[in-house]
Amino acid sequence: MPRVSVQNLNKDFKIYERPQDRLFEIIQRKKRHQLFHVLSDISFAVPDGKSLGIIGDNGAGKSTLLKLLVGTLQPTSGEIAINGQVAALLELGAGFHPEFTGRKNIYLNAALLGVPDDNIAEMERDIIAFSELDYFIDRPVKTYSSGMYVRLAFSIATMVRPDILVIDEALSVGDMAFQKKCVQCMNEFRQQQKTMVFCSHSMFHVQELCDIAIWLDKGKIQEIGDSDKVVGHYEDFCNNKKTYSSIREDIPGELRASEAAQEKNVQDCRINSVAVKSLDGKDITTIKPLSDVLLEMEVEVLVDNMEGHFGFAFMKSAEEPIASFLTTNDDEIEIGSFAKGDVFKVSLVVEKVAMRVGEFYALGGLADKSGLLWYETKFSKLLAMEPNKGVGPMIMKCAWQLDKEG
Amino acid sequence: MLLTLLREWMMTPFTHYRLFHNFAKQDFLAQFTASIGGFLWLIITPIIHIMIYAFVFGYLFKIRSAVGFEESTFVVFMMVGYLPWFAFADAIGKSTGILIEKAPLITKVKFPVQIIPVVGAVIPYLTHAIGFGILLVYLATQGYLNWMWFYLPFIFFFQFLFALGLVAILSALSVFLRDLQQLVALGITVWFFLTPIIWPISIIEDEAQRDIFLLNPMHSFVSLYREIVLQGQVTFIHLQIIIPVSLIVYFFGGWLFMKIKQAFGDVL
Repeated sequence: MPRVSVQNLNKDFKIYERPQDRLFEIIQRKKRHQLFHVLSDISFAVPDGKSLGIIGDNGAGKSTLLKLLVGTLQPTSGEIAINGQVAALLELGAGFHPEFTGRKNIYLNAALLGVPDDNIAEMERDIIAFSELDYFIDRPVKTYSSGMYVRLAFSIATMVRPDILVIDEALSVGDMAFQKKCVQCMNEFRQQQKTMVFCSHSMFHVQELCDIAIWLDKGKIQEIGDSDKVVGHYEDFCNNKKTYSSIREDIPGELRASEAAQEKNVQDCRINSVAVKSLDGKDITTIKPLSDVLLEMEVEVLVDNMEGHFGFAFMKSAEEPIASFLTTNDDEIEIGSFAKGDVFKVSLVVEKVAMRVGEFYALGGLADKSGLLWYETKFSKLLAMEPNKGVGPMIMKCAWQLDKEG
Repeated sequence: MLLTLLREWMMTPFTHYRLFHNFAKQDFLAQFTASIGGFLWLIITPIIHIMIYAFVFGYLFKIRSAVGFEESTFVVFMMVGYLPWFAFADAIGKSTGILIEKAPLITKVKFPVQIIPVVGAVIPYLTHAIGFGILLVYLATQGYLNWMWFYLPFIFFFQFLFALGLVAILSALSVFLRDLQQLVALGITVWFFLTPIIWPISIIEDEAQRDIFLLNPMHSFVSLYREIVLQGQVTFIHLQIIIPVSLIVYFFGGWLFMKIKQAFGDVL
């Protein structure tokens, strides 16, 4: 019998533009929200004694799925069946009271997790020993470092011996020694045939600690299976992504609900083409060293009042830039605002290309006003340097001279 | 379904006794941790309150005793009503913040959330019971003690149920409507002056107008305390009001809270 089983789980968030809309909706019975599908049609089962890893980009719905499993969120539709006592570590010391000592917080947390009092006294010593807090256990937790916080929280969650342990990225905070200890502890936990659900960005930990893994992508299960295999496919997927689109991953989890809006931003404009030409306007795929080239992109604006910066780069691969050219450093170029429907060409002359050998791409991109968020990027065709004589990756314009004395 | 909800609501402090105990202890102690005075504040605060009101109303305004309470000074008359009101106002005033304050806990840990309004009402009542107790001890030494005083805990308990029901309603709604924080703070002040606490009901001469104030249950509570403590009697109409009103508010508040607590996770 599976410890955790989930059937056709869906979760939508209602997004209201203004908080009072929620109230008006109840009173007027007129729809005032937009639905944001966080999770759609999730089904899986974790057999007893197995552990499950959840991986995926930020905003894929990992934390929401964990919250649904723990029960602090209610599913929009679908079934969740949990057999056994759950201890969750969804946030560092969510149940801690900052003014109280670590020792008092042990009792408070254990009560939250539903441990009988006489057992806590027994566990107290184990918890203190495991967390390595020693003298700090009688200091208020507000004085703790985040590492100490997670040590105490992790110790409590594991020492209460739950049947199912749910952990959300807790390990990343502790120092290496404690991480190792946690991994050991979680391994023991597995050996005791208990169930663990674990969400992390550390592919290494997921591979080490989980039997099965789920790769979530935009709220859907992209793949489910042996953790080795799923992690491999996910890593592959990440490496193939465009470099700058990964900037979006830095959006913190709290903003996830607003990501629907972010998604729209990405559609503010479109790069129709990126071309590399010689100065007389012919498309080229090979570049003569130290020649001048013209980089050109055609941009179509899809919304009114768009403002933005332009950039070009030579890229060896999606991850590896060689040179970059950005309008953020140049006050003279027009950055908007542009109107919807505008189509224009942005061109840049690069003088005396200094690469001597190699194949690469030109990349055209559009960033927002701040130059931090990239709306869109597009690669050109593969370019190559024309064969020439010499050694080393670069070539530089130079002038020889030989002076004979008298 | 309705009955299960209500039973769960009623039994919460007992079925989850340890959590209740821990939360209550935490909130009670949190008022004093890191302060030098510690528990002394529990005693000092009401005494200072009594003294400042005695100074303003007894010495500066020289207000004479209210009609029907000629035996007592105005300050005693007022404080008997004021201290229980203080407990009520404290509980209601804090109610709009208690869930929002605990948002990280509610969204991250699964536990019976209904314990929060219960604790939120228990703590102010526990705290102010001490002040009220001090006043009663003083009055006992002044010769007011009578057998009717045995009813006081019951009245106080019904007042607690009334407050608990309101705390449950307000705390749950404030999750969805943050404006309640301001509204409630304002409402408490308005309610205070509409309740005959610093003025005797006998000020209103017209009988019919006086009856309108019976719509305010706090008027009944305050009057009951005064009649019991100072006169050793009760007016039946006040009992007839507070018992059903307290129970209805208590159960309705519990039902509402239990009904919408599922949605807290989405909003907080």
